[in-house]
Order: sequence, then C-alpha cells, then structure tokens
Amino acid sequence: MSTVKIEKDVPAADAGAGPVSRPSRRLGNPTTDSVFSGFSHLFLLVWGAMVVFPLLWVVLSSFKDDAQILKEPLSLIPDSLHWGNFSRAWGEGHIGAFFFNTVIIVGGGVFLTMLLGSMAAYVLARYDFPGNRVIYYLFLAGLTLPVYLAAVPLFVGTSKLGQQFPLLGTNSYVMLILVYVGWSLSFTIFFMHSFFKTLPQTVAEAAMVDGASHTTLFFRVMLPMAKPGLISIGIFNVLGQWNQWYLPVLLMQPAGGEAKKQVIAQGLIELSVNQGYKSDWSGLFAGVTMAMLPVLIVYLVFQRQVQAGLTGGITK
Amino acid sequence: MSDTRSNFASLSPLSRRSFLQRAALAGLIVTPAGGLLAACAGSSTDNNGATGAASPDNPFGVADNSKVDVIVFNGGLGDEYAKFDQTLFTGKHGKVTVNLSSTQKIKTEQQPRFSTTPADLINNSGADSMALDALINDGALTDLGPLLDAPSWDNKDVKVRDTLLPGTVDDGTFSGKFYVLNYAYTVFGIWYNKALFDKNGWTAPNTFDEFFTLAPKIKAAGVAPFAFAGKYPYYMRWAIMSWIWKSGGRQAVVDIDNLKAGAWKTPEVMAALGATEKLIKDGHALTGSATLSHTESQQAWLDGKAAFLPVGTWLENEMKATIPADFKMTISNFWGVASGDKAANAVFAGSGEGWIVPKKAANAAGGMEFLRGMLSKEGAAKFASLTHSLTSTKGSGDNVTDSTALTSANSLMKAAGELVSFKFPDWYGDLDKGSQNAIGELMAGRMTAAKFADTMQVAADKVAADSSIKKQTRA
Amino acid sequence: MQHGKARFIAGFLALPLALYVWYVVWPFAQSIGYSFTDWGGYSDEQHFIGFANYARLFKDELIGLAFWHNVFFLITVPLITIALALFFAFLLNVGGRGNRAGIRGVWGSGVYKIIFFFPQVLSLVLIAIMWQAIYRGDDQGLLNGLLIKVGLVDQSNPVGFVADPTPFLGVPAVLWWILFIAIWGGVGFYLVLFSAAMQSIPKDIYEAALLDGANRVNSFTRVTLPLLRDTVSIAWVYLGFIALDMYALVFVMTPSQGGPNHASEIFASVINFTAFNSSRSGRYGYACAMGVALGIFTMILAAVQLRITRRERLEF
Repeated sequence: MSTVKIEKDVPAADAGAGPVSRPSRRLGNPTTDSVFSGFSHLFLLVWGAMVVFPLLWVVLSSFKDDAQILKEPLSLIPDSLHWGNFSRAWGEGHIGAFFFNTVIIVGGGVFLTMLLGSMAAYVLARYDFPGNRVIYYLFLAGLTLPVYLAAVPLFVGTSKLGQQFPLLGTNSYVMLILVYVGWSLSFTIFFMHSFFKTLPQTVAEAAMVDGASHTTLFFRVMLPMAKPGLISIGIFNVLGQWNQWYLPVLLMQPAGGEAKKQVIAQGLIELSVNQGYKSDWSGLFAGVTMAMLPVLIVYLVFQRQVQAGLTGGITK
Repeated sequence: MSDTRSNFASLSPLSRRSFLQRAALAGLIVTPAGGLLAACAGSSTDNNGATGAASPDNPFGVADNSKVDVIVFNGGLGDEYAKFDQTLFTGKHGKVTVNLSSTQKIKTEQQPRFSTTPADLINNSGADSMALDALINDGALTDLGPLLDAPSWDNKDVKVRDTLLPGTVDDGTFSGKFYVLNYAYTVFGIWYNKALFDKNGWTAPNTFDEFFTLAPKIKAAGVAPFAFAGKYPYYMRWAIMSWIWKSGGRQAVVDIDNLKAGAWKTPEVMAALGATEKLIKDGHALTGSATLSHTESQQAWLDGKAAFLPVGTWLENEMKATIPADFKMTISNFWGVASGDKAANAVFAGSGEGWIVPKKAANAAGGMEFLRGMLSKEGAAKFASLTHSLTSTKGSGDNVTDSTALTSANSLMKAAGELVSFKFPDWYGDLDKGSQNAIGELMAGRMTAAKFADTMQVAADKVAADSSIKKQTRA
Repeated sequence: MQHGKARFIAGFLALPLALYVWYVVWPFAQSIGYSFTDWGGYSDEQHFIGFANYARLFKDELIGLAFWHNVFFLITVPLITIALALFFAFLLNVGGRGNRAGIRGVWGSGVYKIIFFFPQVLSLVLIAIMWQAIYRGDDQGLLNGLLIKVGLVDQSNPVGFVADPTPFLGVPAVLWWILFIAIWGGVGFYLVLFSAAMQSIPKDIYEAALLDGANRVNSFTRVTLPLLRDTVSIAWVYLGFIALDMYALVFVMTPSQGGPNHASEIFASVINFTAFNSSRSGRYGYACAMGVALGIFTMILAAVQLRITRRERLEF
C-alpha cells in the first residue's frame, strides 16, 4: 500500500525467489519454477489491479447518476445505465468539438515537430560549423525552463503578432501548432541528435559519392534509417501534446467575439471545475471516459508499434 | 471575502468567491435595516479610451461605435444572465458593440494581458481568479466610485449607490476606493436537518455551551455532531472569524484586519479559538472531516452522518441532486462563544462575485455602463430567476419560492444585528494562505488554539513589518 | 560543395530555430529581464532593482523548504521507479517456468506490459480525479474503504493520505503519497523500455550463464543489469526532469497547492504562488528570479548527471 512497502518489495521478492529458484536449462526443477512463477504472477497481478481498478471505476461510474456517485462512491455496479451522462458531456460539455480541435492541432503539431526537429537535430549532429554547440545547448536549455514563467511575454507577443497576422495570433490553430512545435523541439532534438550521431558514416559517404545532395541524403537515406527513433519520439510528442492544457488555456483566447477553440484537456478541466459548481458528477465521469477510451483504444491497437518504437529508439 | 487563490490548473474546487457567485440562495428578502455603509468614493477616474457626451442616460459617456469586451465567469451561475444583460445594454446603446465571452480560467486568461490589453469588464471569480490585493496594489483597477454616484438605470433621480444592499459598497472598497462590485448576496451559518432534530427532540443550539451539552445526545444516536470541509480550510475560516466577531465584537476583527499587534491573542479571540479547539479535541467532528472536500462533507451531512455543517446559502442548490425528500434543510446563526459575547446577534452575510474594470481598459466607460445595466431592476430580477440567487441590489428576489433553507435564512437575516465581515485574506495573499494552513492544522487536531494564535500573530506581524507590502486599513 | 553545405545547414536550421527563439527563448529572456525588476504582473510599472530579488531568494524560508522537497523527489522518483520497473521487467522476462529452451517470461507478459503502460496515456485531469477518489480521507475512499474492510485501518482513524503532513522517515507523508502516484504512472513506461532492452540481449549470453550454474537472480544481477546500464542511465535522466517538475501532481492533489501547511511545497508551487498571489509588491519579478534559479539548478544537475554517466552526450 505505501511506498515504503514497495521499496521493500524488491528485496522481499529476491529473498523469496532466491533460495527456491535454481533452475537449470536441462534439469529444470518444476516445483521451484512453479513457485517462482507464482510469485511473479502475484506481484504482477497486484500492480496490474492497481492500474486497472481505478480506470474501471471511472468507466463504470460514468454510467451512474449523481446520487449514486455521491452516496456509493465505492460501488462498481451502476444501478442502471444512465446513457444521458454521455449525451450531456458530448453536447453541453462539447467533447465532440474539442476532440476535433485536438486532433487537428496535435496532428499538425506532431508532424511539424518531427519534421523540423529531425532536420535541426540532423544538421546539429552531423555537420560541423561555427556555433553548432551554442545552438545545440540553446535547444537543450529549453528542457529546464518552467513554461508558466514565459506565460506573460508569450501571450503579449502572440496577441501583438496577431494584430498583423491573425493566423499567428491568439485562438488560431496555426499559432497553437507552432507554439507546440516550439516547445517540443528541445526534447525532440535532444533525442534525435543522439540518434543521428549513431547512423553509420559509410552510408552517407556512399550516397554523396552517388551525387546525392545534402537534402536528398537526409530525406531519402538518413530519415528512413532513423525511423525507429522517429516513432519513439513521435509517441512522446503525441502523448505530450495530446495532454497539453496550459498552453491552450493561455493562448486560445479569442480577441474579438468569435468562439474559443478549445482542446480536449481544457474541456476536461472545464468539466471538472463545473462539477464543483453544478454538481454534474456523472457528466464529468462520462466526459472523462469519452476522452480516455479513444486514447486507450488507439494505444491498444498500436501497442506493438509503440513498444517496438520505444525499443527501436532507445535500445538501438 | 476570500479566495483560495489557487492557480492555473484549478482542478481544485472553489473559492469562496465562486461559491458566492453561485450563491444558490433561492431568493431572500433582506432586512432593510441599517443605512448603507457608504464608503467615500474617489472623485475622479482614470478612464481611458474615447468617451462620448455624458447624459443621465449615458452617465459615463460611452462613445457610439465603440466596443465593450466583457468576460463572464461561467461557473455555477452560468453565463445566461450576462447574455440577458447584453441585450439590455444594446437595447439602450444600439451603436455600441458588446463582445461577451465566458470562461472559467479568469486568471490564466486575463492576467497575461492585464498590463497591456485587458478586457473592459471582468467577472473576477472562481478558483482561478486574480488576487485582488495584487490588482489593487499594482494600481491596475479603475475606481468604480462614479458608478455608485451615477443615476440608476431605472430612475435617474436615484443613485446606483442607493439601490444596493447593505455591505455591498463596503465589501468592494479598498483603501477608501470602490474597486469591486460584488453582484451576488449570501448568508452563512450552521446548517442542520430540522426533521432529524424534531424526530429526536433536539433543539438547535445558539451557543457553544448548548452545543456541547447536546453533542453527547447526538453521538448517542449514532450521529457525529459536526462535519466540515477540511480540505478547503477557508470554509472553517468563515465560521472561526464569525465566532471571533461574536466573542470580541466588530473591533476584534477590525484589529485583526488592521494587523494590530496582539490582535490574535486577546482573551475574546482566544475564547473563540478555544471553543473551536474543544470542538475537535472532544471528538465532535465527523471522522475524516479534516480531509473532506465541500461536496463530500455536505453529502455526509445529507446522509445523516453528521448533525451540523457550516456553509453558505448556496448549499441547497449545490446539493439539489441528492437532498433526501424528507430533509428539512435549515440554517442557524453561528453559535455564540460565551455569555460575555460582545456581538451575539451578528450574522455573517454579504456580497460576493466581484466585477472589476481594469485601469488599462480601452473602454472603461463601457464597462461601467454594462455594470449599471446589470444592476437595473430588470437585470437583477433576471439574474434571480435564472440562478435562484440574489443580487446585491435591493428586491431582486421578491418573487421568492418556498424552501426551508430560504425561510430559515430569511428569519436569520431578520434577527441580524450587525453584519460580520473580514478582510485580511483579500488584503494580504500571504495571510490568506497562512490562515488556511493554520486552520487546516487546528481542525485536524494537530495544532492547539494557543499555537494557532501564535502562528497567526507571527504571520500578521511579519506582513505588518514588511515594507514591501502595501497596507490597508478599516475603521 | 562548401557553399552548398552552408546553405543546406542554414536552410535546415532556420525554421526550427526561428520558431524556438520566438516562442521559447524570447519569452523566457524577457522573464529573465523581469527578474531584475520589481514588476508586480498586473500594471505596466516596473523598475530595475538589480540583484535584489536574487538576494532575497537566499533568505526565503519557503524556497529552502521547497528545495529539499525537490531534492527528495529527485532522489526517490528515479530510484524507485527504475528499481520497480527493473523488478517487473525481470519477472516478465525470466519469471516464467524454465523449459528446454531456457528461462522465459511469465505467461501473459504481453498483457501485463500493455496494462502497466496505461497510466502513461492518461491525462493529468483524469489521474487527478481518480486519485482524489482513491485517497479520500474517510471510509468512502477507495483505499480507506478497502483497508477498513480488511481490518488494517480503524474506521475511526482513517489514513489522511495527501492531507497528512506527519513526517515519515523525516519526510512529510503527503510527499510519499504524491511520490506513489508518480511511480504508479511511470513504472509502466520504463518497464516496457527495460523489457525491450532485455529482449535485445542475445539469448546465448544467458545460456552461457546458466550453464555456469547461475540462477535467475544472479544471472539478472551479473548479466542483465550491466548490459542494461546504458538504458538505465537514460531513464535516470528522463526521470530527473520529471522529478523536478512534480508540480502538476502537487497542484491537483494537495490541499492549498503545496499543503497541508506547506508540507508538500516545491519550487514550482512557490513560484506560482509568488508570481500571482503574494501580497508583496514586485511579486512577479521575484517569481521570475525563482524561476531563473530553478533553471540554473536544473542545468547544473543535468550537466552533473551526464558527467556521472560519463557521457558527454547521450547516445542511444
């Protein structure tokens, strides 16, 4: 239950497993193996339950009505299926519209982040030029900056620019995509830089001998070779940008009377704040469930690629 | 008035201000007693932007073809009423455009633009609202004095000032200037279920002594005597400050607000704190109360797990989904502390839900004119009918519906002596946080009353001695 | 060729650099500027006050407290997350029954990997809602309810969780409970990471170790761990950044954002309170100074970490 206990888990497990497990590949003692396997399952099941149970509880609570949520918070079984919660969250909570906005912004943001990030990382990793280190460390420094301290200048700069170029001003898809790119570049470059470093020089030389330009070399040869790394960092970026809420709240404010283009994380915060004001607990749970399930489903469908991507990127 | 002053993520529930504006009081006939505490309004404003010709119908001279940016907090009161006010406004000023936008993240959205291009009128409310002391000390707000002295929307012979409920001007006045118009009105007290009390033959106590006598009987019935929202210590701050006021009279609280040396350690204050300590020490609080949120504690109370619960009149609206049918929600005054109480009849009630006009507003005149429209009879009545809450104008809830919560609040107000109010959390952000921390410890039983008084005194002395903090005073 | 190369480098760097400078560097540079002023954040009045804000930092007790809490996370988050992730990865990969092909992972290891990764794809809002219900401080809380039912906790004295400042091992309980959520969220990711790294270790190395009579545990400590050294040190750096930014959890989970009674105050919560809510004039400038100090601290730490792992830069 407590963290302390978890700390203890490690030695405890070793102690439990140590004496009994002396398997040999040929002799293989079935008894000690079963014990060991049993222990393994026990620990894994406990942790698995700790992950699954709360999620299950959220999903099932989204079918309850307010009275049941407040009176029997622990129960898992809804007294009846209140589908109205979902239509309320979808309609009044605008989850649908938020989804649309989020998909556009994260789609554009991740694509551009990957493209620009790998371009910069590639140049910084494989070309020597004056100022290379300075630029690299400038990008790295971004990893250490707390975003909320840049809030005021960032907002003022954006809204001023927006007076000249509305697309780059507040409450614009393009602007938010570019902001996401800017704030994602540090980590992307940090990651891809090391990746490009390890790609063999011989391939590049061969391509150059064949008369390829630097640009062709990058897009035709190096980028495909870096695919595992791209997938890994792509996953980081999708997760990071999908869950980003501070930048959109700060920047997606309409200057005039037009509607605010909100993203899903904002929508959830709004629902959860609202819940305090209007007591729509069931609507909150429904909204949360609707926001969570697609991500979980996408993850389940692509989990092989996600895992392979992480593997490819990091353990290469 | 106090704020949780929570920050941008704002998952944390609500500040008092947000509760106030959500004030679910389904209408309340307020006692006409007492003249208005007319704080002197500043003589001139720093209105920016183009102004047109002023007239009784357009006292601030809102320019034709100008636009007014209004930001409404879309919390428990919703934003419907503001949309109605918008039509009211454009009905009178057809050539002025109103851009109304609603949000729940007031601070996150408005703070970054405050020093350059703020909106013209902002409903500074909710958990994510801007700290008033910061705004005022930075000189970032327009003095709304002219609004008070302007002719009212409905009758040009009556000033806006004279259409407001008691306390409204006082609550919005800082260092002698009227900066904040609080639009909603709330009564605070200790709630009980009259049905439960009648069934058991209990009488709601008027004093701590009566409470301590009754408590064992309540416990014997398997009910915890007292529940509270320990997770948000400002809930108990309303109660504790009311007890201090009752025990020591107005002066005790004024001294605390004015950071007077030793103000937290007078015998009267100690009596109130001692009673609070005893409440916890004697085990009268519902188990786990110190960690519960407002809704959690309120639900526990509705479920009959606790007899008393201190909170404001928004309670009924907030919990309407789960109030049992036979429940008789009743509010009583905060208990008296001792026989020597200096202000036993004081009631904690007041205005909340602040509206401000930034000093840098491009159309401050438009912002104030919009407020004038909101305070009109029509605007106020619409607010009351849409939100089941009162505005701080007189008579907004004249068409009152039946509700035991409302009736009891009514009779409480009728018996009211003076109105309790305390300012220090609004005036000093550090004391807001400091007092919440200390109250949290006191109510969790980890701090004694004496230690609490010490802690608060040290914190107050520190603020008093810090020359970088601008001081406020009240008389 | 040289000319073409210069144009290529400039062409590839221009856009990423422009975006990064405009959206990240410039706003932050302005914040550095504010750190030398007494700006309050709401008006446009500000005066240059030199290093006064920085001098104040060293006298600020709250910052001192926050510093140690940050250090606590900096040590515990990577340590425990990595230990636990390694432990689970070990179970998943060698916890199963031995057979003729040698030791293998437990049955269903793929499913565990998927489930353990779940928290990674959940947004903070969702995690907050879930954990508030789990940590609720009366018998209605998921954990308290369970513990009371099992009889581990007395109904009249439930666990306070994030509302409990009582020190445990010298550290307020609330910090341990926050730590637990961070670990809960992070273990899955690193489990997948380590697990992938383990699988990329050639089988014959294990075979050889087994032939030499090594059991599971010492084959793990002698063979697997050394080979995972690189992956582990990468994980350590990532987790270091995460540990410095525990703000989101502190913000959504603790009473008065850093409470109870400052027991969970960290750099970020102090900065955020100071920037917008402190009574002092010049609050925003002072908060900027805190932010700059935090940034410098992070940079030094990152440099030290990279030095310790004896890498000038990370290579994957």
